[in-house]
Amino acid sequence: MNKHIQKKPESGVRSLPSKKDHPAGKCLMSRRKMLFASGMATATVMVAMSADPAAAKVPAMVATYPRKKIAKLSELKTDQPIGFEYPDQGAYAQSMLVKMGTEAGGGIGPQKDVVAFNYFCTHQGGDLSGTYKGDTKSLGACPLHLSTYDLTRHGILISGQAYQSLPQVLLELDGDDIYAVGVFGLIFGRYDNLQG
Amino acid sequence: MSTPYYIPETNVPLPPKGAEVITTACDYCIVACGYKVYRWPVAGGHDGGPKAEQNAFGADFPVETLGPWVAPNQHNIVLHNGEPNHVVIIPDKDTKFVNTDGDSSLRGGCIAQKCYNPQTPTRDRLKSPMMRIYGILQPVPWDFALDVAAEVGNYVRTKHGVNAYGVKTYSYQYIENTYAITKYALRHVNTANFTFHDTPSDVSSTPGFRDAGFDNFGPAYEDWMNAETLLVCGTDPYETKTILWTQWIMKGIQNGQKCIMMNPRRTAGVAYAEKNGGLWLDVNLGTDLLVVNAIARIIAENGWQDADWIKNWVNNKWGSSSGFGQGTRNTPWQWRTTWGKFQTNGYDDWKKWLLSRDEFKPENAAQVAGIDVKKIYTAAEWMAKPKGGKRPKTSIMIEKGFYWSNNTGNTMAISALAIIVGAGGRPGQVVGRAGGHQRGGQRGGKYPRNKSPMKVPGRRRRALDTDTWTMSGHTRFAHVIGTTWIQSMCGSQQLAKKFEEMTVANPHQIRSYDKQDIIDTLKRRADSGGMVVINQDIYLVDPIGNRYADIIFPAATWGEETFMRANGERRLRVYNKFYDAPGEARPDWWIIAELAKRMGFDGFDWKNSNDVAEESARFSRGSRKDFNMIKVAARREGKTLHQKLGEFGTNGIQGPVFMKDDGTLVGTKRLHDTTRKLPETGPAAGNVFNKKLTHFNSQTGRCNIEKSPWSLFSDYWEWMKPKGNELWCTSGRTNERWQSGFDDRRRPYVVQRWPDNYVEMHPDDAKERGIESGDMLMVYSDRVPNLKETILGVEGSDYSFSGQMKAGNVELTRAAVTGVAMVTRHIKKGIIFMDFLHTSQPANALEGRVVDWISGNYNYKMGVAKVKKIGVSPYKNTFRSMSFAPRDIT
Repeated sequence: MNKHIQKKPESGVRSLPSKKDHPAGKCLMSRRKMLFASGMATATVMVAMSADPAAAKVPAMVATYPRKKIAKLSELKTDQPIGFEYPDQGAYAQSMLVKMGTEAGGGIGPQKDVVAFNYFCTHQGGDLSGTYKGDTKSLGACPLHLSTYDLTRHGILISGQAYQSLPQVLLELDGDDIYAVGVFGLIFGRYDNLQG
Repeated sequence: MSTPYYIPETNVPLPPKGAEVITTACDYCIVACGYKVYRWPVAGGHDGGPKAEQNAFGADFPVETLGPWVAPNQHNIVLHNGEPNHVVIIPDKDTKFVNTDGDSSLRGGCIAQKCYNPQTPTRDRLKSPMMRIYGILQPVPWDFALDVAAEVGNYVRTKHGVNAYGVKTYSYQYIENTYAITKYALRHVNTANFTFHDTPSDVSSTPGFRDAGFDNFGPAYEDWMNAETLLVCGTDPYETKTILWTQWIMKGIQNGQKCIMMNPRRTAGVAYAEKNGGLWLDVNLGTDLLVVNAIARIIAENGWQDADWIKNWVNNKWGSSSGFGQGTRNTPWQWRTTWGKFQTNGYDDWKKWLLSRDEFKPENAAQVAGIDVKKIYTAAEWMAKPKGGKRPKTSIMIEKGFYWSNNTGNTMAISALAIIVGAGGRPGQVVGRAGGHQRGGQRGGKYPRNKSPMKVPGRRRRALDTDTWTMSGHTRFAHVIGTTWIQSMCGSQQLAKKFEEMTVANPHQIRSYDKQDIIDTLKRRADSGGMVVINQDIYLVDPIGNRYADIIFPAATWGEETFMRANGERRLRVYNKFYDAPGEARPDWWIIAELAKRMGFDGFDWKNSNDVAEESARFSRGSRKDFNMIKVAARREGKTLHQKLGEFGTNGIQGPVFMKDDGTLVGTKRLHDTTRKLPETGPAAGNVFNKKLTHFNSQTGRCNIEKSPWSLFSDYWEWMKPKGNELWCTSGRTNERWQSGFDDRRRPYVVQRWPDNYVEMHPDDAKERGIESGDMLMVYSDRVPNLKETILGVEGSDYSFSGQMKAGNVELTRAAVTGVAMVTRHIKKGIIFMDFLHTSQPANALEGRVVDWISGNYNYKMGVAKVKKIGVSPYKNTFRSMSFAPRDIT
């Protein structure tokens, strides 16, 4: 089946993720130890799950994620995704940021239309890069088993096999700078988003 | 209505090295993927770690693509021997069959969420027997509930006759349970008022297959992959049968298979097929027969039929008539063909009939079906036109959208098409059903046909129609097991009204603390023309349990008892128990046995489910899932049947199973396998060889090629087709919610995806009605046809739809169901589509409760409705739930 994996246009040649792509576990463990030492292993944050300003924010437990600058709002072009890695440079960290021109759950910017998602299908880890569709604001079909995801609705499964929504990368806007600040949902392949 | 939100986890516990591993298969769809349950105690906190040597998978995390990843929805905490245990349930990465590659659907993939856990929405599992006392279902002890049910049941069958005792049951929830239920209902109670969950009477789902000689489940999964041309009718196997698609058909398409999909919806599998050189036959509802016969006509006119196959394997005049005049006309084939409407003298006779009918001219068929006529020609070429002197290997798959639109006609027509393209008896050249639920039926008794009052002149008795029988007030005691009964039948809102009238609206209600007083009250209910309802299920189902039942028996299910069952290629597996059933829930075989013993029946002294399985084994002899020889092998080796079958793990073994001279067991890859060589010495010991192994299930072992007249159905179709601003209204299921609906309401992620029933509608139809995605709709009709009486007629033709209308036996009723608009490009214009069994918004209410007059089945998939906007759903302008994106994104 692997021969059917699509190539990722925006990031050039990249092989399927494998163990050796993952940074040394030691590195992550030491960061984890550091976080435990500082008593900041987890924190409850408030996440807006609806673009309706009147809607209540819901609590979500997320691990402590790095705050990483990933793009400038003014440089985004509608329906042209850009790739980035988050929350680390390990396996399955490849993610995408897109301005969709349509309001979306968790969207930022004046139109609430800028969202970011992890690129790996939450079924069996198929690579979804290169599958963004501007007309349906979706990722997929996954080259492995055809799952599709709705990026206007927190990455919910449109049709297919996945066990959960596509992990949504939580964003913050600071002036023109877009920061990734967390991930909503477990990334494929990992047992913990921050530990691998 | 709710606006659920779902907060995903961002980590999951891993099973430690040394965690117990238990094999099972998925509880849901026909495909039955193999699964492994990893179980370890919560006490001690010994979870696994991310390094290969730290976890039960022996895999480093992050795992590779297709590796043993654990999604948070694949973990749960259950009680095992009274102690909390973690379970992680993921598709078996080592299985050699079915879900090769360790693939799974969303439904099975998240099956861990099915397990009872009081901290999850499964907390509403039934945990105790209950009795409706003073109008409220109150917990009572097993003995109390069983004593009352047995005494009232016995009273009803002796006072009002055995047909007053109605049994409506699932046909598939494991061999042990279906054996016990049918032994009780058919052999002991001996009622003709009996049927399964998906039909009003105990009749064949595919009359045409049966008459032609095809088993529904003859093919092996590899045949669907190895066909060079595959015609799929009335289903998208990606939406339903997902893994049969992704692991078998999709690989066939990648190898160049031409896949033709006949279906009014362009869902993901159809879109994939088209993108890869396939074809979409986007037919109007109920017009399949015309298109199938038009394809056949092109093949016959061009001489593309498989002449050698027809010569060797199709009945001529003599074969076709053999068996007639010998005793009563008591086989289904003879019964149907004596109408003179179907039987032929062989291929030439059939061809003559086909070419004489103008409605099968491709241009005419295309016009009624609403498709481009070129597609009919293309399909005919792909299926039968020889290339370089070589015929394409063609297979045909059908499912409910097809055989529940024109039950007899469509299945007759497709059988003839299969025969002429040479499908049915060779590798990669097969015909069969794709399947719905798994195959877990094992009869422990024979249907008492002679007790059915349903007799059409000149033909043998037909099984009793339990719906019209109940509508006429004849069912006084309804024993309902693992089915909603009401919403799963057509014209369901009229059925509900009748249930209401006969149960809660009856004056005789339990208002007492005294057991005998309670029994006497329920007897008076039955005597007064009312009905007593007992309901066995795993959840309290509305309305059959919640509103109408007098007594509830809580059932134990998948994972809570060790069971056996077969899948869509007859693959038998053991489904092992791995955790404790909630509260006092008991498996259905136990409940039936306790009831039967109290009613004075013998032969119900089983100690465990293996006892039931072993008793049932000999009744499976000669059937498509014959497992008797597994029991023989088990006995020889000093094992139980469950132990012996369990040795085959998730790979299982395909029925019928035979024993070789050396005592080893061998399965059956496909039925009707004309290439199979059986031992020349014939069957030895207990092995049973019969026709279906190497020949067809007909009177001669060759296929019957039969006519499929449009006129037997066209009166209903013409009457039914949309008038004014009506739209065709059909129903079905989606990938995310299929054969799993009873659990899905307890799975937050699936509820987030599909919170309410939905109405798929073409953008043009929506625009005309001012409807946008997310609007709340009323879907309604004031002409849902319902049969009033069980039987009303004298001559055979009185039983056609026109005849029943003329006789005044069809009542036009109203129905209304709400749903959320989903305006989408993936459905054909003029048709709306809903989830068929959303229990609170039952789409079947809109479908005609008029049986196919030849087979006795409903045509569930062919109704009409009007649609109007009544407001806006909460999903229209918020982003937590549902998606309105189309299902054809490739």
